[in-house]
This record gives sequence, structure tokens and C-alpha cells, in this order.
Amino acid sequence: MQNPTSEQSAQRLTLHALNKSFGLVHVVKDLSLDIHPGEFLVLLGPSGCGKTTALRMIAGLETVDSGTITLGDEDITHSLPKYRDIAMVFQSYALYPHKTVFENMGFPLKVSGYSPDEVKEAVHETAAQVHMTDYLERYPRELSGGQRQRVALGRAMIRRPSAFLMDEPLSNLDAKLRGHMRAELKRMQHDLGTTTVYVTHDQIEAMTLAHRVAIMNHGVLQQLGTPAEVYDEPANLFVAGFMGSPPMNFVKGAVDNNRFTATGLALPVTQYTGGSEAILGFRPEDAEVVAADAGLFNAHVFTSEQTGEYTLVTLELNDDTVTIKMPREFNATIRDTVGVRFPVNKGFLFDATTGDRNTGQLS
Amino acid sequence: MTAVRKKISRRRTPLQWLFEAPSIGKMAPGTAVFVYGLLLFWTLVVLFPLYWVLITSFKTALDVNNGPVFLPWVDFTPSLHAWRELLVIDYEDTLRSYINSIVIATLSTALCVAVGSMAAYALARITYKPKFGNILLFVLAMLGGCYVVWKAGVDWKIAMTAAFAIWFFLLKSVGRFFKKSVGNGDILFWMISQRILPPIVTVVPIYMMFQNLKMLDTHLALILTYTVVNLPIVVWLLYDFISGIPIELEESAQLDGASRFRTFWEIVLPLAKPGLAATTLLVLILAWNEYILAVFLSTSNAQTIPILVAAMNAGERGILWWSMCVVIIIMIIPVVFMAILLQRFISKGVLLGAVKG
Amino acid sequence: MSTVGKQGTPSRRARTHRISEWLDRQSSTLFITPAVVLILVFSLFPLVASLIIAFSRFRLRAGSYQVRWVGFKNFEKQFFGSEQFHFLGTFKGMSVLGWVVATVAGVLILYWLYRYCRQKFWWLGFIGRIISALMAFGLVLLFSATLLSGHQFGTLGVTLFYVFVGCSLQFAIGLGLALLCAQPIRGRTFFRVVFFLPLMITPIGIGYAFRMLADTTKGPFSPAWQWVGLGDFAWSTDPWAARLFIVIGDSWQWIPFVFIILLAALENIPKDHREAAEVDGASGWQIFREITWPQLLPVAATVMLIRLIEAFKLVDLPNIMTAGGPGIATESMSLHSYFAWRSLDLGQSAAIAYLLLITTVVICVSFFNYVVLGRLRQGNA
Repeated sequence: MQNPTSEQSAQRLTLHALNKSFGLVHVVKDLSLDIHPGEFLVLLGPSGCGKTTALRMIAGLETVDSGTITLGDEDITHSLPKYRDIAMVFQSYALYPHKTVFENMGFPLKVSGYSPDEVKEAVHETAAQVHMTDYLERYPRELSGGQRQRVALGRAMIRRPSAFLMDEPLSNLDAKLRGHMRAELKRMQHDLGTTTVYVTHDQIEAMTLAHRVAIMNHGVLQQLGTPAEVYDEPANLFVAGFMGSPPMNFVKGAVDNNRFTATGLALPVTQYTGGSEAILGFRPEDAEVVAADAGLFNAHVFTSEQTGEYTLVTLELNDDTVTIKMPREFNATIRDTVGVRFPVNKGFLFDATTGDRNTGQLS
Repeated sequence: MTAVRKKISRRRTPLQWLFEAPSIGKMAPGTAVFVYGLLLFWTLVVLFPLYWVLITSFKTALDVNNGPVFLPWVDFTPSLHAWRELLVIDYEDTLRSYINSIVIATLSTALCVAVGSMAAYALARITYKPKFGNILLFVLAMLGGCYVVWKAGVDWKIAMTAAFAIWFFLLKSVGRFFKKSVGNGDILFWMISQRILPPIVTVVPIYMMFQNLKMLDTHLALILTYTVVNLPIVVWLLYDFISGIPIELEESAQLDGASRFRTFWEIVLPLAKPGLAATTLLVLILAWNEYILAVFLSTSNAQTIPILVAAMNAGERGILWWSMCVVIIIMIIPVVFMAILLQRFISKGVLLGAVKG
Repeated sequence: MSTVGKQGTPSRRARTHRISEWLDRQSSTLFITPAVVLILVFSLFPLVASLIIAFSRFRLRAGSYQVRWVGFKNFEKQFFGSEQFHFLGTFKGMSVLGWVVATVAGVLILYWLYRYCRQKFWWLGFIGRIISALMAFGLVLLFSATLLSGHQFGTLGVTLFYVFVGCSLQFAIGLGLALLCAQPIRGRTFFRVVFFLPLMITPIGIGYAFRMLADTTKGPFSPAWQWVGLGDFAWSTDPWAARLFIVIGDSWQWIPFVFIILLAALENIPKDHREAAEVDGASGWQIFREITWPQLLPVAATVMLIRLIEAFKLVDLPNIMTAGGPGIATESMSLHSYFAWRSLDLGQSAAIAYLLLITTVVICVSFFNYVVLGRLRQGNA
């Protein structure tokens, strides 16, 4: 008997110069990605950035305007979804309401002609992996959100496909369950070793799950790298602002004579090569609030919020506001003038006109 | 799962090339020929009878009786004689029927939607618990009244009033001792199930009732009858639609001090507009096309346009096909516009909810 | 409230306030009363009156009428009367085929009842099933004794022919068209509006239009008829051709109804389900069989219930297209009742109408209980 759950070598998935337009809207622009065998790649971006469209093109649910998709050594750009050997988990899970959990999970095998015995064996095996063995006779409406999620995962896993596609699979769960499922998902992918493309707008999911993150905006790939890379070395303003919570602080200013100047501050800069309009960025967790005149620049306290874990201090600097993460016992008085300090190597400089990160450094 | 993987690189067989979509959202050539062929065939099936009616209205008696001619100006010369006869020479009868139809269809629709939407709202939002015993008493009282009319020959007005009075008295005195009651669902089912009644079952007594009231062949008789016949549809469709409106809106209106009527008028009806529009169109078309009740209840004064169609078959000259076709066409024209409007509502799924149950 | 009520003298304001408050308190009654009264007067009263008339000999006199109790005479005439008034059709002994079919059906119905009793027993459900079973067996018996034994069909048989053959045809074609229109085609709106049209056209117009089309000597298809060698053939002289002709006319009108509702239902099925099945490797047929069809069933069952109810009322088409002929071959029960009314035999007319009502209610309620409710439960499942 051919066991559907026998192990299979992971496949490489390559997208080359993919383009897609809906009418006049160019949704995906020249997207090229090389996804390694067994890699967990997260497509991250705000809603409407084209990430879901890209995923649906890989699944074969949208036609490709130009470009190619290869899975293993096969060109699947124009083949029908059913010939692609790819499994997908939908945002809504797309569980068939008139089928039981067993029938839902067994469906991919049933339609590809496996005998009822083989289907049964495979379903039980997969159900054990997703901890749904006790619920096989239930209908989807009788399950909780997390259980539905597991069924959808099981239905995707059961075929041992060459690649998994997941379209925001955790977004319909409550926060607590989401964290739990995230961990399970990561473990499952690790154990199966199947190439996975995962779409989300949640940067925490991206950071925790991904081997590599691809950040998209307006249909264009902004940066591709490991979570640490995109966090520590953001390629441009968009990536810098998208990653991290609370997001990176930006101070508008100008670079002139190796000095970054904005109202109320002037900092020395080296190796800056961009235009004179520049933006200084630094992360809330890298900076600290110090006494006035003790830091790199001064600002006024706008408000301070206790989150239990830490204190978020929001400061007013000219027209910008900057947020700084401080230990929970920190206390700030509203309207006080304080200083802000951060290590100079944790400051990023961006060209304000192009948005690209500059090689320039504070010194 | 090697079986699945092999398929990818397999070359498409000619059969697959013909019938399997090359990629998603596209049709294979064979499928396309098949699909468009059938669609065009059915378009022809639908349009040809209409085309035939249209050209027949321009034919003379000779064209019709000498076998088929198909194309105006090609194998026969279109003539306006039937049109002229009905719309210019003998226009009073046509005009009267047309106006009758318009008056009866619109007024009965208005009444039907008004009464039906109120009932639908009430059933969706107010809990009713009529006692089963009281309903039974009412039916018994009415049956008793009928029996008295039938056997003793008492005037029916007196008998019915007396029966109603007796029932009312019983309701107030012993009514509260009954325990078992029916719910909204039962009332709704009762109202909708009225649609099962074939009109032929009720029309004879209705005919006699109107005869007794000297109301035969009046507009009012047809308006009331059409209203009742279509009421189940309105209640059914609107009940579902109104149930779908968030109740918080009504509750907030009531907290703001609005009465039930005001809530209904200012909150519920505007929100139910798509459902109302679709239902109205549907009922309007049904009333406009109705034939068998009109045959029973009208002769000349309240004659509607379907009766005029049939009247073209009543003369000594056999069927006046050309004139009949003219009447059918002027009858269809307003309906086609309504059909296009209604189609939009149905494709938006406005009426689907009720069917889904 | 205070700002609204500021006009008028205090006493008048208080009075209007009292009245409006009283009205508001009575609103629950006032909302539903018009509908209830209308239905009572125009539906329940006629139903009772009709029953009385059905048991009477009824004579219209100038301005008045005379009623005489005749017991079951009117119904008797329907069941055992002369051929012209035959409700059941003629049967002078059954053929072998008739016996076989009747026996097989009887056994199947008994098995069905037995199975119900084995599964769960509820006395109301049991009585309902007994009624359905008796009706079904009676109809099969009638079918075997008339049609399968080569005898004349009665009005009941004709009505059931219209209902079942017509509804099946409408469902099949309506579903087919809905599936075609759900394909990625161009001009979808055009096809939709065109396919929808026949539903909007008055049945009487359809009746006459189809009479013109079916004319084998002067109609548009007469060259074709002549070519096939059926130039002398007339639809209205052959019983089966005439019945079929009426079913075609009725279907032409009602296919759009089935089509438009099923299309809306098709489009209402979440796109995800279809896409998930496609990714999972299902073929087009598998998607229809496993995903689309089960989700369509609840709507389909309800649509067919509505069609069933309306099909029993069929009267205008046979009246116009064949006037019930040849003989009584195309006479539906409604039409028969109408003819009786026209000849001023009101008692007979009401009796037929009541028989029709009983048939309609039993069949529709059976269909609702065994098919629609089952599908709805499954659909919500």
C-alpha cells in the first residue's frame, strides 16, 4: 500500500518576475522569490499589498500575467491547481459545512482515488498529529475556532504536498489561542519539513514563525531576509516602520556638512551619501529617557502608559512624536523636559526622498 | 503521493485539450463551444416565441392564414392595421382595460405590501401567544353561524355578527382557562400555507360573496382578492428580510421614545427597502398577469388586460391573432422593465434568504 | 416627548397623548389584525363555504340562490360517475404489468413504514406516514389500473402528470442553465435577463403564443413538420402530444424561476469551498458532486416545493391551448372545476376543488416533511 503519509523530500519553490493586474490596478509587480526546500517563508505586508494575490497565484487560483512559478523542477505557472501538488489553508478555513471532520480531512485523498481503507488510515494518523482524533464525527459548526483551524491544517497535511500555502490562518482566532496555535504550527512545519509560504499582516507571527521574511508593499517586494536581518537592518523606511511594536521612531531633518539637523538637535554623521532631506530612525526599545541635556537631544513628555510589563513614554519633539520603552518602574511627569539617549550604532538614517536606508551612521 | 506529482508534467491528451480548462478562470475550446452553444440555443428558445408574437402583430389575416412568413419586408409587408384598430379606432376598450389593469395591479400591490409588511414585522419582532382553545372557539362560532344561515335561512350579516359576539363573550369569560397556545412560527406557517390553496377552491364562495354584496365586476373586488392571494408571498419574503435587520436599531429607537408604529415606519421600512422593492415588483407582476380570478370576478366594467387578450378569441371571426398579439405586446412592455429591475434584486440574493429556509 | 407635544392646549395634548399611548399598547394586535382578517374573510370563510357547497346541489336564481344538501353525491359522481366526469379515469381490470408495479410499490411502501417504526416511533409521525403511504399506494394503484393497463387517464392523473413531469423537466433544465451561467462566460447579465423573461409574461399570452408555434400547418415550424412528414399531425388531437405540449408551455414559463433562484444559490456558495477543493485536486465533476450539489440541495428542495404548490393550480394553459381536449385528455382538476362552474354546477365545481385541495396538501406536506425538512437539517448541519 502506498502510504500517503510516507516522507517525501521537500521541494524548492521559485517565483520569477511575477506580475498581476486587476484592471488598472497593478497588484503584484515583478515579484521574484527563491524559496528553499523545507523553508518557512512568511509574506508580510499591510492589507492590499498583493501578498494574498501572490499566494493565490502560487496555488493556481489566479492567472499569472507574466513571470514563472516553478516547484521542484516543474514549471507550474499555468497548470491547474489540482495538478500542482500544493495544499492551502484558507483564512476562512473553507471547511465544507456538510461534511464531518473525517470527511473534510479525507477529501483530498478521496478525490485522488485512494481506497476507503487508505483514507481512513491516513485520516486517523493525521488527526492524531493535529489532536483531533476525538472529534472525527463532528461537523465544522460544532467545533471551536481553534479546532476548525486544526482540521484545516490536517486537511492540508494529509496529502504530504510539496508545499503548504497559508493565507492568514490565525487571524480568525482570539489572541491567546493565536499564540498557542503559532507554536504548534511552527513545530508541525519543523517536523514535516515541507516548504511553506505563509501570508500575514501580523509582524509578530512573521518574526516568530519564519525562516525568512519577505516584506511587501504596494505589490513590490521591499526586503527579503531572516527575521533578525529585517529587524536589525531594515532596507527602507517602510520595512523599518512595519517591523517592531511599537514601531520605529522617525525624526525628520536634514543632513548637511556631516551633521544631521532638526529643530532642537544636531548630531554628527559619517559616510552619509543620500540627499539632504533625511530621516533619523531609532527603535523604542533601544532608547532611554534620561535627565534633560544628558542625552542626544531634549523633548517634552506627552504622556506615559503603563502596560504592566513596561512603561511606554511618548515624547513630543517639534512636530514628531517619539515613543520610548522604559522599565515598568519608570515614572515621567507630563510636560516635563527630558533627554533622549540611544547608542549611536542603533540609529538609522534614511533618505527622505527615496525612503531607502543610507549607509550613513551617527557618530 | 507520487501519483499526484506525475500528473504535472504529463502531456495533455486531445480530450483534455478540448474539455479541461488550460488554467483557472478560462474555458477549454470544447467546453466553450458546448457552453455558448447551449446558452445561445436557450436564448433562441426564449426569444423566438416573443419574436413570433411581435411579427404576428404586424401581419394581415392573409399572412397568418396562408402559412408561415418569417421576416417583415422580406416575405411579407408589415401592416399596422391591428395596431390602428386597437389603439386608434377602437381605443376605448383597450384603454379602459389597460387603466383597469394598472389601477387594480398597483392598488392591490400597495395594499398587499402594506398589510403584509406589517404582519411580517409583527411576526418577526412581537411574540404572540394566542390560546389554542380560543382559536377553536372562533372556528366553532363561525361554523355555527354558517350552519344557522344555511339551515334557518337567517340573514348572514346578523348570523355572523351574533357568532362573533358570542365568541367575543366566550373569549372574555372562559378564554383565560385555556392553557395551550400557539406561537409565531405557527401563525407564520398558517399565513404562508394559504398559498397552497388553489384559487379554484376559494373563488366560487368569493364570487358568491361579492355577488351578495353587489360588488361583482368592480375594481375593489379584484383588488381585495389579489391582495389576499399574494399576501402569503409578501409575508414570507419580508419576514425573512426583516428578521435579518439588527434588532439593536429598533431597540435604540424605542429607547429614544418612538412608538412601535414610528419604529416600523422610520427604522424598519427604510432598512427593508431592497426586500420591499423586490417583493413589490414580484407582486405587481403577479397581479398584472393574473387571469383566472379576473375571469370569475369581472365581466366588462373591471375587465383587465388579460381578459382582453382572451376576448380576441370570442368573436365570430375566429381568433384575431394579429390583434391578440398587439394586446400581448402592450401587456409585456411594462413587465419587461420590471423584469430587468427585479432580476437585479434577485441576483443580489435579496430573495434567496427566504428560500434557504 | 416634551418638545414634540408643545403645541396645542394642555388638555388636548394630554388627550392625543392618551390616544397614542393606547394605540401603542394595542400595536401588537393592530399590526397583525389586517392580515388575519383578510385571510379569514377571503380564505378561511371561502374554504368553509366551499365545503358546504361541495355537499350541496346549488342553483343560482335571479339575484339569489338555492342550496340543497345532497351528501356525498357530488364526490360520488367524481369517483364513479360517467366518463365525462371521471376524476380517476376508467379501469376495467388491471394488466399483468399493472399488478406487478402495484405489488412492488405496495411492498416498498410497507418496508418504508416498517423501517420508520424500527428507527423511532412518534405517533404523529406515524399517522402522517400512514396517510402519505395510503395516498402513494392509491396513486400507484390508479397509475397501474389506468395507464399501465391501457385505459383512459382521469383528471387526477393528468394533474399529476403536469406536476411531476413538468416539475422534473423544469428542475433539470433550470439547474442546467444555472450551472452554465455560473461558468466564466461573457455576457452573463444579458443571458440572465433574457432567461428570466418568460416568468414575467402572462400565462394567457404564453398559451396563445404556443398555440401559434405549435400549429403544424401555419406555424413557424410547419415547413419542418411537412419535411418530416407530419404535416397533418395536430398536437391537440393526440392525448399524449397535447399533454406534452402543455407541459412544454408551462415549463417555458417556469424554468426561469428555478434557474434564477438556483443561480443565486450557486453564487452564494462561498468561493473558498470551491477553491479549496480545486487545490485539493478535485475534478470539475467531483467539485459538483461533493461540494456544490450538497450545498445547493436545501435551496433546490425549497424551490421544488414552491413549484409543486404552483403546478397543482395549473388552469390557464390547458384552457387556452387545448380547452381540455381531446376529450378530457388535458383537463387538469382546476380546469375541470372551472368548466363545472361555467356550466353553473357549483356543487360539482366545489367538490372537485376540494379533491384537488386534499391531493395538493397531502403531496406537498409529504414532500415538505420528507424532503425539504431533511435537506434543511442537512444544510444547516
